[in-house]
Parts: sequence; C-alpha cells; structure tokens
Amino acid sequence: MAGETVDPAAHIFEIIGTVLSVESMTRGCSNEIYVPVSEEEFEPVINLLTARKFVLIALFGAEGFRYFLGTSLLYVFEKRGGMVILVRDADRPVSSIAAMIPSASWFERECRDGFGIEFTGAFDTRRLFLHETYPENFHPLKKSFVNGPIPTKPSIDPADEYPFRKVNGEGVYQVPVGPVHAGIIEPGHFRFSVIGETIFNLEVRMFYKHRGIEKLAEGKSPEWCIRIAEAVSGDESVANATAFCMAIEKISRIPVPDRAWQLRTILLEMERIASHLGDQAGMLLDVAFPLGASQFSVLREEVVRENERLTGSRFLRGMVAIGGLSRDIRKEQLYELGRFLDQFRKRYRIGLKIVLSTASVIDRFGTTGIIRPGLLRPLNITGPAARASGGKVDTRVNCPYGIYTRYPPIPKILKDGDVISRFTVKAAEILDSVEIIRKLLASMPEGEVRREALVLDGYTLSLVESPRGENLAFVWVKNGKIERYKVRTASFCNWQAIEHAVQGNIVPDFPVINKSLNLSYAGTDL
Amino acid sequence: MVNAFSCMLKSKVTENVLVRNDAIEKLGRLLKREVDAVFGGSIAIRELDSGSDNATEIEINALNNAFYDVERFGISFVASPRHADVLLVTGAVTHNMAIAVKKTYEAMPSPKFVIAVGDDACDGGIFAGSYAVLGGAEKILPVDMKIPGNPPTPAQILEGLLALMRRAKEGKRK
Repeated sequence: MAGETVDPAAHIFEIIGTVLSVESMTRGCSNEIYVPVSEEEFEPVINLLTARKFVLIALFGAEGFRYFLGTSLLYVFEKRGGMVILVRDADRPVSSIAAMIPSASWFERECRDGFGIEFTGAFDTRRLFLHETYPENFHPLKKSFVNGPIPTKPSIDPADEYPFRKVNGEGVYQVPVGPVHAGIIEPGHFRFSVIGETIFNLEVRMFYKHRGIEKLAEGKSPEWCIRIAEAVSGDESVANATAFCMAIEKISRIPVPDRAWQLRTILLEMERIASHLGDQAGMLLDVAFPLGASQFSVLREEVVRENERLTGSRFLRGMVAIGGLSRDIRKEQLYELGRFLDQFRKRYRIGLKIVLSTASVIDRFGTTGIIRPGLLRPLNITGPAARASGGKVDTRVNCPYGIYTRYPPIPKILKDGDVISRFTVKAAEILDSVEIIRKLLASMPEGEVRREALVLDGYTLSLVESPRGENLAFVWVKNGKIERYKVRTASFCNWQAIEHAVQGNIVPDFPVINKSLNLSYAGTDL
Repeated sequence: MVNAFSCMLKSKVTENVLVRNDAIEKLGRLLKREVDAVFGGSIAIRELDSGSDNATEIEINALNNAFYDVERFGISFVASPRHADVLLVTGAVTHNMAIAVKKTYEAMPSPKFVIAVGDDACDGGIFAGSYAVLGGAEKILPVDMKIPGNPPTPAQILEGLLALMRRAKEGKRK
C-alpha cells in the first residue's frame, strides 16, 4: 500500500484528462481535485473511474456550491490517497449509479431525503433517514428550511409502514429484531429471513437515532462545531473532531505545532485501543466466554481511566481544537502513560493467549461471518473489517495525515474475512497502537500545543482512520460560519457488509458477527 | 482424562481482584441497603437508547465490568422492559425513536421509574432545537431523576441510582 511515488493528484489529472478538459479541474486545500461534470460527460467519467479501480467513498449534496447556483451533488472517488470530486448539477434530472456502484444506493437515498433529489433509474427509492413519522416533501438540508421543530405523525398506519424486501419460499420465515434490543446497545432494526436456523437474508434498517447533525452544524461557528463532531459517535470523538479540525486547518492554512500533532496522535491511538478492547470483550461475551471478556473489559476500564487522568475525560473530549489542542498534557502525566502501557502490554498478551488457546472460542469465531474480498471496493468497506478480508486499506498509510508519515502503523492484513480474522487484526492493532504511542512518547518535542489563527472561508475534505475505519469530513466555511458539514463515518458503509456477512450463518451467531464488525449506529444515523 | 472429583478438592481457580476502590465499594454498600429497603433485594433495569451518541451506553455497560460489578449491589440489567423496575433513557428522543420509546415504557409493569442519563436525555443537550429530536426524555415520559454529564461516569450513574432509591423510599413512606 505504501510506495506510491507519483503525486496522486497528477495521476488523476492524467486519467480524467482523457475525457474532460484539464482547465475545468481545480485543486482543493487538501490536494483533492474538484471537477464540474455535465450530464453527457457523467457516465463516461464514472465508467472510467470504476475501470481504473477508483472507489466511491462519499456522495452528498450541497446548495450553492461553487459551479452551480442550485443544488450540487458531490461524488468523491478515491484511489491510493488521491481524491477526485465530481460535481454534478442536481437541479436537472440526474441518473442513479447504484446499479453500477452498490454503495451509492444509501448515499442516493440520503441525498433524496436531505435535498429532495430524485435519481432516475434507482432500484431503491425508499426513504432512508426520514422514517414514516416525518411528513412528505420535507427535506431538512435545503437552505429554505430553517432548523426547528416540525410536525410529525404520532402513530403510523400499517399501510404506511416501511416495506422490507420480501423473501418468499417454502420454509422461509421472518425474524424481526429491534429497534429496541435485548442488551445495552443502540437501536436499529434487523429483518432476518430464516430457513430453519440458517439466515437466508438480512435486511438492516437504521437511522432510528437520526439527530440532524449536519443541519445542526449549519450557521454555527467552527469552534462550536467541534462539540457536534465529538457527538457524532461516542467512542470516535477524537477521530471525528480531528477530521473536522484538520479540514478547518487546511482551509485556513494553520500550521499545527509538532507537539500538538504528537499528542493528538496519542489520543487517536488511545481511542483505538479502548474501542478495540470493548469489541473484543463483547465478542467473547457473545460466545459465552466471560473469563476472556472480563480480562479485556478490565483492561478497557483501565485505559479509559488513563484517558481521564490525561485529559479529564474518559472519552478524551474537549481536547482537540482548531490549530492543535485546547490544553497541554504535562511531562509527568506522559511519563506515567508510558509506565502504564508497559504493564498493559504484558497483561494484554496474557489475556490474548488465554483466549486464543480456548477451543470453544476458536470454534465459534472461525469461518463465522465471512466478508469476501470482492465486496470491499463496491461497498467501500474500510478499517479492521477490510483488513481482515485482505484489504490493504488504512488511511494512516494510504493517505497519511498529521505525523503518521513519521510514525507509520504496521497494518495487519489477513485474508479469511471471518470473525477470528477480525479479532486477530484488532489484537495486532492494539499492540501496534501501543508501539506507536511509545515511540511518540520517546520523541515528544517541547513547545506550544496550539497555533491561534483566523479561520478563513473555503471548503475541503479530510480523511481520518477512526477505530472503525476511514471517516470523512467535508467542511465548508462561509462568512466565518459553517455552511455545510458532511460527515461520513466508516460505519455508514461497513453496515452494508453485514447483510452479506451473515448469509448462511445461524441466527445465534449474529450477535458475535455484529460485534466483530463493531458498527456505530449513531455514526451512521447522524 | 480429568478426574472430576480431584477438581472439586482443589482450591478455587479465581484470582485476587485488585480493581476495587473504596469510594465505589462504599457507594455500592449504601445503594444495596436502599435497594433492599425499597425493592426487597434487587432492582431490574432496562436501558433504552432514544438517540444518544453511544458514549452513555458504553458507561452503563462499564457498570458490569469487574471494577464496578454492580450485580453485587442488587442491580441487574434485564433484556425486556416487562421485567424492569427502572428505565434508563439515554440521548435526546429522536422522532424516529419516539414510538418505540413510548411502547417500551408502556410494556413495563407498574410501579416504574424513569431516569434520564446524560445531558442529551436531560434536556436535549446540544440537539435541543434540532428538527430531528423532540428534546429530553421528559417530552414523552414522566422522568423521575436526571443524571447529567457528557457522558456521566459509571460512578455518577451509581450516585443517580442511589438518589432515586432514596426518593422512592420517601414516596413509599407517604
């Protein structure tokens, strides 16, 4: 995955230049390329990009964006750290690309709900984040809608209920689960079509937690918006705040001090360790192995207490700021962190050894919930889920930000794509994160942790590797206020993999498959 | 072949727990006393996420780890609202969850208590005023207790439970 010596942007200029005029392309603040595309040019460009193995990593709308007065659609394609954004005029009829690029289906449905854009030829035109309770013709992301209370339906007529995909056949029956689940977890609905005990089909329905994050950010000051970024998904607070601040720093050309980046990276990796430990404990609990689960949940608690000691917040909130960090972490505290990690690593290895030498765990984890490598690109699967299925994708390596060029992680790539692969990848990542933090601690520079600077107007994209995979933030500042904040977490795309991963598995294995993917509901529903 | 009898004669295979801390133990003992007095030994809690960012769920889950292990204090988390005495609501109530929230509450047997956990559940938090939320849990449920925080720590959640027990005891006396 490393070793790409050519400038990715130049590579894109070269490829797209064969169908579009180079004059229309412009470079953004993060070296991404924007290019307006007419309807005639659109299909050839999409074909070209998919043929050249570019991945659709996001698709969203924005009003009054640069080239068009009305609503624009921004199609973000990525390949090896190079990003190209096709900007399409959505006030004219637009065609769906979901049949060609499956990940586009949820994106298109999201744009339809948000902006009222109809995609011709779309195979799925059901509403996505606006459930039945919302009125018709309500599109919250339009600028003409001023954020505030709206009338909703107090009850839903059975005829208006969400139409799930019909699965018929001899012996097929439905198991509806959720939105309220049996454990202490987030709400979502799973519609299983089952034959005997075997899952024949699963349809996931999300967005019960839709809180209107993107609209909420509009018109707010960039400073205030960090709180919104931190609330996107609880255990990805640092990742989302970093993605947001990084975008603002690129737009305003704020040089972030080295010490701030080193400390930020420590926080990012501490967040990854805590998240992975929680997953591992959960996975072990789901296969009824509390001995292993309790070891990892004890370690997880110790890590979040360490977080609290360092930052005052168990979730590391309130630390990441525009231009660096809101406050420094003292030398003695960092020294203590190093000591903690030394003993943490020893105890983690002992726990891991117990787990991986327990036959019943291996039996339940192995060959369960396989994600085939062929799904990765069409669905834009990222993070440990992709790396356990042979995907050489890690934003920290492919598209390094901050100081990851100097402290690159060593990604663990496995091929089987089952639960044990994901467990093993996460185990390796925990130990790798410890290693990264130790190196950062050993070379911590002195100096300021924040560069105060004026926030300028502009827009850009940023990518961050959260514990769950690649998170994207598009930030557009206009007159000093947030004009558009689009966040696409790894979970939004990874959720669609679970429908494939569970097929042919038994219903009782669903919880462990779900936990092994550790998908964020809040980060998807926004 | 393992001799089952010899296993019984051996000393127990448990480790010394080094994770307990005095403040939590003291809080737990107080809580246990109140739970015994008001609910006759144990309370059953159902957690309901009405639109949180998941941080609060993570902290509630932490109550079951070895540091807190709240089942020792007579507190258990149950899978069904039909078995629950207390409903812990987290997050601002979204429109998409409103019907499910009401149904969950209605499924609980009386007498029942509702605790709003976290800033968003208390009054909508940063989401107050968003088109997508009704606001805090009290918009559709009778809330007996609020535990603010972004998110509240496990210890703060335990303190909130203790306060609820004390209030319930007052109610019982009347």
